[in-house]
Amino acid sequence: MMAHRITLALPSKGRLMERSVEIFRQAGLTIEKNGHERGYLGTIREMPEVDIAFMSASEIAFSLRTGRIHMGITGEDLVREYGPQTESHVVLLRPLGFGRADVVVAVPGCWIDVNEMADLENIAGDFGREHGRPMRVATKYMNLTRRFFAERGVSRYRIVESLGATEGTPAAGSAEIVVDITSTGATLEANHLKVLADGLILSSQACLFASRGADWPPPACAVRNDLIGRLATGH
Amino acid sequence: MTAETAVNFEALEAQAAAIMGVFGRSGYERVAPSILQPANVYLDAIGEELRSRTYVFTDPDGEELCLRPDLTVPSCRLYLERVPKADKRASYCYNGPAFRFQPGGGDRRRPREFRQAGLESFHATDREKTEVEVLGLVVEAVRAAGLKGFKLRFGDLGLFNGLIAAIDLPSRWRDRLARSFWRPDAFLAELKAMCGGGLRIPKGVPEELVRAIDPADPVAAEDLVARHLEAGGMPIIGTRSLREITTHLVELAADARAEPLPASAAALIEAYIGITAPPRAAGARISDILSGSGVDLSDALEHYRRRLELMGQIGVELGKAEFSAEYGRGFEYYTGFVFEIELPDLGRGGHIAGGGRYDRLVSQVGGDHDVPAVGAAIHTERLLAAIEGLT
Repeated sequence: MMAHRITLALPSKGRLMERSVEIFRQAGLTIEKNGHERGYLGTIREMPEVDIAFMSASEIAFSLRTGRIHMGITGEDLVREYGPQTESHVVLLRPLGFGRADVVVAVPGCWIDVNEMADLENIAGDFGREHGRPMRVATKYMNLTRRFFAERGVSRYRIVESLGATEGTPAAGSAEIVVDITSTGATLEANHLKVLADGLILSSQACLFASRGADWPPPACAVRNDLIGRLATGH
Repeated sequence: MTAETAVNFEALEAQAAAIMGVFGRSGYERVAPSILQPANVYLDAIGEELRSRTYVFTDPDGEELCLRPDLTVPSCRLYLERVPKADKRASYCYNGPAFRFQPGGGDRRRPREFRQAGLESFHATDREKTEVEVLGLVVEAVRAAGLKGFKLRFGDLGLFNGLIAAIDLPSRWRDRLARSFWRPDAFLAELKAMCGGGLRIPKGVPEELVRAIDPADPVAAEDLVARHLEAGGMPIIGTRSLREITTHLVELAADARAEPLPASAAALIEAYIGITAPPRAAGARISDILSGSGVDLSDALEHYRRRLELMGQIGVELGKAEFSAEYGRGFEYYTGFVFEIELPDLGRGGHIAGGGRYDRLVSQVGGDHDVPAVGAAIHTERLLAAIEGLT
């Protein structure tokens, strides 16, 4: 890789991609895909030093951590999920105001005796005796869940990894509790779940991040600063 | 890069020979429990804290397995394999690898892959004698390896449980105190709530419903709860049943009606928790705070004193040791006596060995009843690092 070039990763599909491209357009920057419409590489017409890589949002979070890309736009939830020492690997340059959603702890609405995190620890003993195993928490946010539960003194539970349709796991009987991302709460409600009063783990949104692990010679820093400056004025 | 277990191989082997010699000469049978363990059984027993540091994977058959993060649980499972009814004595010792994730990668004092040398005694009926035997052997073993200037720390969850069993309070409150013992802040908050006019109905729980519940009539309560849910359009989903939800609400109703805990009882518990002293002095202090309180702990104290006496007989330097009533917080599977050998100057890496009584673990990993059990393990890489640091 030439010293003055940087790689910027953008979400490869859906509203996150559309809104990301829009942010650049407002700053007078045109994102162009190389080759056909479904390609995964692109450029910024006005800034030829920047290579665009279209990746899934979670791959961007992971690549920021490892330093495979210089910068990227993805959800804060995913960046925080990868590892306990987020700050030593990744810098949050600016929140972008879209892709807003909360990572929350939710339980069945019929649990009228459980409304706060502390209540989970209070029912854990009876639940364990009755079912011969701890309560299960379905989530794709294993690290965020562990840290949050530990901080709240909830210890008697087990995580079951869930990579999709997490909100359906309590009704399906494969978990009792979910930690999931929600923007309006409507999906949780439709699945007869309620968010615990103190169960907000993270208010997330799409952000522009830089990786500390990537190669940052002075020319690359100059490109980065130029890009940040343009996005700031356009926004 | 050198494999983590290959670092200091010869030195660790020589050290292990010294340690295992001590255990073997005392009649502990050498065993090699499985390194691969079924993830479910294991992780349910150790709690999410250690689980988050356990290497878990799915094998090509779809079975969820883990690399053991310690050897105590595997030893319990081995005992159950050999003694399925869990009705006979067995004494095992081992030296083998264990695996724990270390955030940011491992280092010399906290390697991801390390060897534990330890011993476990199952179904021994003389409780104090077994506890002191295990402690004595671990002390002898680290000495045989060359460790000097270490500190012994003791705790006794039996005393704590005896204390709250002797104080007059609803059994559910007792459970709550025992459970929150592991978390000092939560523990004090519970004590305070119990003194302040009984336990309040937790925030968010429908108060009218709880007030309407008669704790003496669980059948009627279930009906009330069912109607409340139906009126609110809340279907019962998931594995936790209407009966379980009702049972908890009945308990909340009983809590709300119960007499508060007398301030003197709370003060007694707090005074006990605050004790940190050399073991004999600590015993005297406990007697002091109990005298005139009407709380009789003579059984638990008798066990405590007998244990100290036995320690004295085998030459444990009690004057240099420290008893702390709080010690034991943080190791959830222990049920009674606990101890630790540490080098205080080394901070987090200074915990060289530890152990204690864990009477419930055998049933937690599949036995059909509790089995008296005492065990201890030495972190051999840390022991070696500590000894090399001394010379």
